[in-house]
Amino acid sequence: MADLILEVDNLTKHYRAAGSFFASGTRLVRAVDGVSFAIEEGSTFALVGESGCGKTTITKVLLRLEEPTSGVVRFRDKVVHDLTGPDLRAYKGTVQAVFQDPYSSMNPRMRVIDIIAEPLKVHENLGGAALRNRVGQLLKDVGLSPTAAALYAHQFSGGQRQRIAIARALALRPKLMILDEPVSGLDVSIRAQILNLLVELQKNYGLSYLLISHDLAIVEHMSHTVGVMYVGKLVELASKEALYSDPLHPYSKALLAAVPQPDPDLPMAATVAGEVASPINPPPGCRFHPRGHHLDRAAIGDRKAIYDACIREL
Amino acid sequence: MSARTDTVLPTPDKKADADILLRVEGLKTYFFTRNAVLKAVDGVSFTVRKGEAVGLVGESGSGKSMTCLSIMRLVPTPGARIVGGEVWFEDADLLAMSEQDLRGYRGRRMAMIMQDPQTSLNPVYTVGDQVSEPIRLHLKERGERVMAKVMEALRAVRIPQPEVRVTQYPHQFSGGMRQRVVAAMGLTTHPELLIADEPTTSLDVTIQAQFVSLIKDLQRESGTSVIWVTHDLGIVAQCCDRVNVMYAGRVVESAEVRKIFKAPQHPYTKALLDSVPVKGKKKKRLYQIDGQPPALDRLPSGCPFWPRCPHAMDICKEQYPPKTSAGVDDFVHCWLAEK
Repeated sequence: MADLILEVDNLTKHYRAAGSFFASGTRLVRAVDGVSFAIEEGSTFALVGESGCGKTTITKVLLRLEEPTSGVVRFRDKVVHDLTGPDLRAYKGTVQAVFQDPYSSMNPRMRVIDIIAEPLKVHENLGGAALRNRVGQLLKDVGLSPTAAALYAHQFSGGQRQRIAIARALALRPKLMILDEPVSGLDVSIRAQILNLLVELQKNYGLSYLLISHDLAIVEHMSHTVGVMYVGKLVELASKEALYSDPLHPYSKALLAAVPQPDPDLPMAATVAGEVASPINPPPGCRFHPRGHHLDRAAIGDRKAIYDACIREL
Repeated sequence: MSARTDTVLPTPDKKADADILLRVEGLKTYFFTRNAVLKAVDGVSFTVRKGEAVGLVGESGSGKSMTCLSIMRLVPTPGARIVGGEVWFEDADLLAMSEQDLRGYRGRRMAMIMQDPQTSLNPVYTVGDQVSEPIRLHLKERGERVMAKVMEALRAVRIPQPEVRVTQYPHQFSGGMRQRVVAAMGLTTHPELLIADEPTTSLDVTIQAQFVSLIKDLQRESGTSVIWVTHDLGIVAQCCDRVNVMYAGRVVESAEVRKIFKAPQHPYTKALLDSVPVKGKKKKRLYQIDGQPPALDRLPSGCPFWPRCPHAMDICKEQYPPKTSAGVDDFVHCWLAEK
């Protein structure tokens, strides 16, 4: 087994939501509830789930934008939330993120060169020709012309902007990239360009990816291991092959079956009744059980180890 | 002699025109800005038969939403204007009739579901109020009959506990339920044509599946024709009988759904299909369409797809390809098909 770059152990993040006008006191939003997974060096780990399942909260905790309520995140054996000073700075350079919206994630008043150079100035004290060369190289690596450096972000299309965002994330030669819905905001014909670029960069830069997506076809294309989340819980953790050929958790099954396939000969997407539960007062036991499907214990068989996360919730 | 051939040979490439519900012919909707005229819809033609589900597929800026707004005569003014073409709803030209006459069609015989249920519902009125509006306005119902119809509409879109839900406000509904309310509003008048403009884009996967199957069920029950506007090829494959692929303001290919997916004619259709990852099909690298959809103020000459087309020839750069007929209603605009 390859080395682990990131280990998330029993991570929990609860938020306090203000009570309503009549009910005083606060309510607990169980955004992430005891989630554990690990990412192997050089691989892509995907988290899938619907809105409110906690996948974005996890990225916030990993980026140290939020403190966990409990649980531990280890990056190469160092506990992420104990890092301070230079160690923390180094960590922030090593873990970078690309977000969904290439329009709001860039300062409209900065030129591309400044957008990409900012982390280099802050972290590596680069300047002058060295800085310009690095930016030029980064632009080339993401498939843009170095002349793009002099332009503003608004002069680019969505796909090109996402390339700039990727160049900015790559500037500090990170080891782990968090890709939060990296192509959801893009046109269909542009998505393939960005996905291909990300696969290429992973090879050339030796990157590990944490991919957050709700698009199961993209997850299948990109990832090695997949975690399926539902209302704050990781309900299934499996290799991509196992999950897509034989999902065990009823929610994983429902999610996979719900995706309409681009082939008119395949049957219509199956539906599961009910709505996604609320992370405030989630249902007891398996949070998916009110939607009427149950896990077949016998089917788990020898895949017990990998489905540990799932089994715990029964 | 000629009369005889007319009757004996009911021209095989003209399936009974009587079952055509909507015929869009050379529709042009332009935006007039200070610096340029943007041809958002530039000569769009397609037909929708009774009970048929027709897809309008394309990327942002391809003109699919503007086409629908033009059919409903709801183009944003000032700014945009329908400058040419005809939209025949059975035997009436929607573009030629008065606002007054149009009211007999818009909202009554044809309805539209927009992308975002959040903004198409009024936050300060109860759901019951909003669903009852078309019932009062178009069906001229009054008194208790209104509430009965509202309940019926909410039940039709499978909203649980409608008697509780009618008195609630949109914010008390989830995204999926809100979209059902919008559908209920559109469907109360039993329209013959339903235009669904990206109705599931803001919904989660399992909720999207519920909504799509709901619309399909309603379509089957009532024989409504549906125009699905989407960029999701999965929805197209699962929902549509016929597909119109749009690029830069024009329909570049129109064909029956299996033909689009199994034997696409236009290089853009082909490229689009190859560029999406498909569940269970291993692709090492996705086919990528280089470049980007063209900006409307900088459209390339000739066929607007040529700069991204792997088969571009000299003529493609000079002249827009004519319509090549490929079956009853099927056609493609490509010089390759012309040869």
